[in-house]
Amino acid sequence: MTIDAIYFDGEYARDRAVTITVDGHDIIFTGDGVPETRWSIAGLHPVDPPSSGQPFRITHSSKPGARLVIRDEDFIRTLIDNHRHLRGGYSWTHLRQVAAWTLGGIIGLAALGYVLVSFLPQKVAYILPDGWRNRVGEQVVKGLVENARRCDSAAGNAAKSAMIAALAEGNPDLPPVSMEIYDMALVNAFAAPGGKIIFTRGILEKADKPEEIAGILAHEIGHVAYRHPEVQLVRLTGLQVLISVMSGSNGGDITSNIAALAALLQYSREAEREADDYALSAMQKASIDPMGLRTFFEKIRKEEGSTSKSGQSSTLGKIGNVFSTHPGTEERIKRIVPMPAGQVPVQVLSPEQWQALKAICAS
Amino acid sequence: MTDTPDSHLPERLTFTYVPRKGLLKLTIVNFLLSLITFSIYRFWAKTNVRRHIWSCVHINGEPLEYTGKGKELFMGALFVFLLLILPIVLIVALIGLIAGPDSPLLMIPQMIVIFGVYLFWGFAIYKARKYQLSRTQWRGIRGTLAGSAMTYSLLYFGSLMAKGMSLGWATPVMNTVLQEQITNDMRFGDAAFKFKGRAGPLYPTYAICWILSLVALIVIVALIAASSAGSTFWQDLFSESSSPDSIDKAVGYLLVGFLVFMVLTALIIPMLWSIYVAKELRTFANYTRFDGAAFKLEATAGAVIWLTVINLLIIIFTLGIGWPYVNQRTVKFVVDRISLEGMIDVDRIRQSQVPLDRRGEGLADAFDVGGL
Repeated sequence: MTIDAIYFDGEYARDRAVTITVDGHDIIFTGDGVPETRWSIAGLHPVDPPSSGQPFRITHSSKPGARLVIRDEDFIRTLIDNHRHLRGGYSWTHLRQVAAWTLGGIIGLAALGYVLVSFLPQKVAYILPDGWRNRVGEQVVKGLVENARRCDSAAGNAAKSAMIAALAEGNPDLPPVSMEIYDMALVNAFAAPGGKIIFTRGILEKADKPEEIAGILAHEIGHVAYRHPEVQLVRLTGLQVLISVMSGSNGGDITSNIAALAALLQYSREAEREADDYALSAMQKASIDPMGLRTFFEKIRKEEGSTSKSGQSSTLGKIGNVFSTHPGTEERIKRIVPMPAGQVPVQVLSPEQWQALKAICAS
Repeated sequence: MTDTPDSHLPERLTFTYVPRKGLLKLTIVNFLLSLITFSIYRFWAKTNVRRHIWSCVHINGEPLEYTGKGKELFMGALFVFLLLILPIVLIVALIGLIAGPDSPLLMIPQMIVIFGVYLFWGFAIYKARKYQLSRTQWRGIRGTLAGSAMTYSLLYFGSLMAKGMSLGWATPVMNTVLQEQITNDMRFGDAAFKFKGRAGPLYPTYAICWILSLVALIVIVALIAASSAGSTFWQDLFSESSSPDSIDKAVGYLLVGFLVFMVLTALIIPMLWSIYVAKELRTFANYTRFDGAAFKLEATAGAVIWLTVINLLIIIFTLGIGWPYVNQRTVKFVVDRISLEGMIDVDRIRQSQVPLDRRGEGLADAFDVGGL
């Protein structure tokens, strides 16, 4: 069977009338200045899926720029019926390709997410220079305490130093920390980058014994020792990168948002346990009665259940307090056991020092 | 079409849009596949839709053909992501980390990024246009842009500045210059497009639209003020006994007023400017020649408004899924109205010798430049 068709050679816009015949596995065409050309049917592919009433346009892998335009419906039908690959449309190769790229994309993003949020923060936190840690720590503290006054008194400051010194006893590798107290009613304490440990007036008032504050201090020093605040800050930056990358925007610039500082200081349960373990071990080495920490935990937990949370609308309130936010508080309390029999607890602060510390915001 | 002596004579080119079935199926499959591939399929979706729409555009009975591939668009986007976006985001994040979360220094990288986006916006447009033209074939011959994307980009950046500084009055001149630059780079095979004409004739229409917009703005503000004057708004805001309650009410009025203002301006201002858009389309078509023949585009403001409004409604009511129809309507709008006045000797047009880019539209995708 010989049929008429139009041929474009891909070199000139000129159309050329040709005649096509099928010869076994090939088609042969020739005409208007076109030498006899043989194309294998296996190498043909449709420019568009065939649709009735429309000419069928095909090309060949040996000459991708060339086009054969066939109008003979019978010929088209016979050709397509015998050679399914000429139907065009969605092919498995095509879908497999898309599936592979999608999978690759997801794996790539997951890998990027792991590096940015899990792997890098742990590494970077320990190589950050102290100058940076202090500077950023100050910004974080300023963001969280807002306009609250920092409490200072000569006797109170001496008491703070005495408490840190008591903890350093038997703990020579205690990281350098500073303890600051701010005139805020809500009950909280947190560690900021650069070893800055912040207490509120509220938490001092809530404490009945110096051992309670010493226990909390030891817990916060635990966060400092593991560089949890720094890790969180780097992680937040990584998260911002990830959000930028996935949303195609600049991620709302979350590190510059003070409210994000709240998220910054909410640690995982694992981090809290690390800090607890550090605190218990440090207190044991320094011979400080760990039951103070336990008493305080229980006191806070009881109040959480009964009273409404005052001051929760402030930035610092939003991070929750050291004990209440995580599930598993019960378990954390149970892990605090009394000192072994025979070990004599030291006096963390003298009664005068304790009074001076509690009154530090009064002056 | 056949081997008669006439086939070598110059011919008049006519453009027709011949609809084909299958766009609905494409739209649905594209949506579903985009959904399950976290939108990575969009590159293939765009390609399928273009292939469909292009094949409906017939010039003297021969359809256009879109030869682009989804993978090329995907690679373009991946290339820009890995070499540009990711490094920039990482550097900005690093600066943020070093400077601290609250540092005013953070503004600097942000501003550099914004500046860079404006500077390369024209580059993205040019490259995307070049990719699309080089993937568009008619009678086996493809188009291209034969000039420099960087030149166009600098020109584009300059035009943004000039438009801003002149309160818009430089728009007709700048648009003409930009159109001239890109049209004179345009080729079909070895045949060139030429653009020649002045911006002057655009100015009367521009002035009318500019003044009408200003008047419309004033009227809208005055109407809102008048309607709020009748209410207790001012009393609520300034009375001696302003209770928190009445302040809340006043804030409520302000908010409603602002919303009304936004909606009215968003509707009326673009409608007014359609008059200018239509004028510019007609004028630029007139200024454009292909192989000696002049284009003509019969676009009226009413038709432009109708096109825009229906397109907007399609996007809104299909939640964006119906974008292939928006593209189709836009192409059909042009094809239905365009004509080429003059004879073209098609047969002697040779294939373009400009090499093909392997990837496409990465930057345009990143910037979300728009277009088809």
